Amino acid sequence: MESSFRTPAQWYDGHNAIRHEGEALWDGSGTLSLRGFSSELTLPFADLEFGEHRGGEMVYRRASEPDFRLILPEDLPPGLAAKLPEKKVYGGWIDKVGLGKASAAFAAVSVAAVALFLTAPDWLGPRVPHSWERNLGDAMVGDFGNRLCSTPEGDAALAKLLDAVDPDEQQVRAGVANIGMVNAVALPGGQVLLFDGLVQDAETPEELAGVLGHEVGHVRERHVMTALLRQFGLSILLSGANSGVGDTVFGLASMGYSRDAEREADEFARERMEESRVSPLGAARFFERIGGDSEAEEDSLVGWVASHPAPRERAKAFRKAAEGKTFAPVLTAQEFEALKSMCEDDPDVEEFDFFF
Amino acid sequence: MHYENMQADSAFGFDGTWQDFAKIALPNLLLTIVTLGIYRFWATTRERQYLWSHTRFVDERLEWTGTGKELFVGFVLVMLLFALPVFGIQFVSQALVMRGYEAAGVLLGMLPLFAIFYLTGLARFRALRYRLSRTRWRGIRGGSNNQGLGYGVSYMWKTFVGYLAIGLLIPWSMTSLWNERWGKMSFGPYEFNAHADSGNIFARFLLFYLSPIIFVVGGVIAAATGGLAGYGLGGEEGAGIGAMASFFILAIFFYFGLGVIAVAFYAKFYREAVGSTHWEDLHFSFEASTMDWIKLLIGDVLIVMFTLGLGFIFLSYRHWKFMIENLEASGDILLDDLTQSTTKTAKHGEGLLDAFDIGAF
Repeated sequence: MESSFRTPAQWYDGHNAIRHEGEALWDGSGTLSLRGFSSELTLPFADLEFGEHRGGEMVYRRASEPDFRLILPEDLPPGLAAKLPEKKVYGGWIDKVGLGKASAAFAAVSVAAVALFLTAPDWLGPRVPHSWERNLGDAMVGDFGNRLCSTPEGDAALAKLLDAVDPDEQQVRAGVANIGMVNAVALPGGQVLLFDGLVQDAETPEELAGVLGHEVGHVRERHVMTALLRQFGLSILLSGANSGVGDTVFGLASMGYSRDAEREADEFARERMEESRVSPLGAARFFERIGGDSEAEEDSLVGWVASHPAPRERAKAFRKAAEGKTFAPVLTAQEFEALKSMCEDDPDVEEFDFFF
Repeated sequence: MHYENMQADSAFGFDGTWQDFAKIALPNLLLTIVTLGIYRFWATTRERQYLWSHTRFVDERLEWTGTGKELFVGFVLVMLLFALPVFGIQFVSQALVMRGYEAAGVLLGMLPLFAIFYLTGLARFRALRYRLSRTRWRGIRGGSNNQGLGYGVSYMWKTFVGYLAIGLLIPWSMTSLWNERWGKMSFGPYEFNAHADSGNIFARFLLFYLSPIIFVVGGVIAAATGGLAGYGLGGEEGAGIGAMASFFILAIFFYFGLGVIAVAFYAKFYREAVGSTHWEDLHFSFEASTMDWIKLLIGDVLIVMFTLGLGFIFLSYRHWKFMIENLEASGDILLDDLTQSTTKTAKHGEGLLDAFDIGAF
């Protein structure tokens, strides 16, 4: 191996645009000497950094002089090449391990990250403290002000209905929303709303107990938090995909539960109703009706049907729960009537015209 | 020196090849996919290093000194300073609506739209500044000491005024913003200045502006003629077919014709804008004709189509090559006086621009 040599070189000092041309001399020591008509310099190898490889030339920079550039031919003798900083292609450690291995490592990490991200709602949701969810729910939806129907008799009936399906010390907050749709929702923060449309559609108070129990089940089984996290993750994904901001989808209304979650909520409702000796036959009839073949009914119930498991199957489960048992009525006829006329009798209830 | 392949008669030359570029772009694509997009900042940097280093200005190649890390940091900054607040505002505005303050909620919800309008201008300015400050020629770089905050305001009101007079002031807003943007940039010790005149592109703009009306009037006449011709050939049924065919041709003409005229206006604008930009004793010009632009765009579409989308990785290469091959400069540069730029450089990259996905030039 040669221990000294000379090679043509060009350099710029980084202070002006004048090109210096001459030779780079190396005597085997730790420094490189640049000799030209207009400039003479001695550079320690340790000060040099790789810049780039371009059309037959190597460009080096100086750590101590950021805009200095040294341009050498690419076919340097191996002795000198070993002294100069190594060529970088991808940068960082990708060059060290190679493109193939680096890609495989990245892919493994990415798959793990995606899996974690996708499953996060399921394991993180139930672990979020109730108080956080309540605060979050309050911040998001508040208490709906005057949009919930309220009369003293109606409120009492609703409270009685809730007692039957939510025996917990700290109950969920239930209300009847002044909306004509046949629907019911569980909202973040332990709020459950029955829509007036559903109340009007119900033939017995047991039907309402079934639906209310189902929604309470969503709250108690932490489905609401899970769905909220899923929605949140989705909005992050969507805003990342087009790398634009401002069009994040954050619609509460589009919140949906998995079929397993729906079954769990049904199960919760059945268990509570059995404990309170409320007949599950009302709920069964409700599902039979919405799964029935009368077109008009199906039409009005489309909101509930779309996001839920097959109603016939659910009706069967509720019917089975009633076998060989006796029940007490959950509300008196008078109480049921008070619930039904709650929205009509509330003098200052407001319309819910924007949300659902 | 290795400039044999360059156009020696032009101040600017490009000697990259798509095969070499593919060796950069394909691994970039792979790494971008396996890192769920995070590598794209480093990918952009590697592409630019290639494009810049194969670009010659007079007798020396350009050099790109930007890094992937600073682009990444820019992106993260935008996410923290802009995306998170916007997310928060959406949350609050929804909560306000939910509580019955519909007007306040909707108003608050519109705030991000204004912010985006302002930031679009700011982003365009800062991206140009970033690119100049990371471009080296003979070791010398460019930049600007201006933060672009004022340009963001100019962008808002000039764009607004441009549309105000039924769109007739759009050419003025375009040239005026170009002049303002470039007037605040410098390379080495010298500032750029630009005096693009909207009067020179107004005729082209009117062509673009009025052509839909001409098309519609002409189209109705053509449809009637087609209907009559059809009637002559096949009676009433023929008239229907003839009129239909005329409308069909008209629809195609409307889309493609308007597209072509829009390109014609843009080509003219670019020639005017670049042609009136100076840097000390040097003046620039841009040679691309409408036909050149159309060929570029049709080429883009064909490449992407026939590679089932994979060809999109070559678009940045094609566009850069197009820009450089059509860019000319003449005048004198005194190398002894061309000293290093003293402008401040931002430590982060073009995060805003990246977030809004717009071009710098």
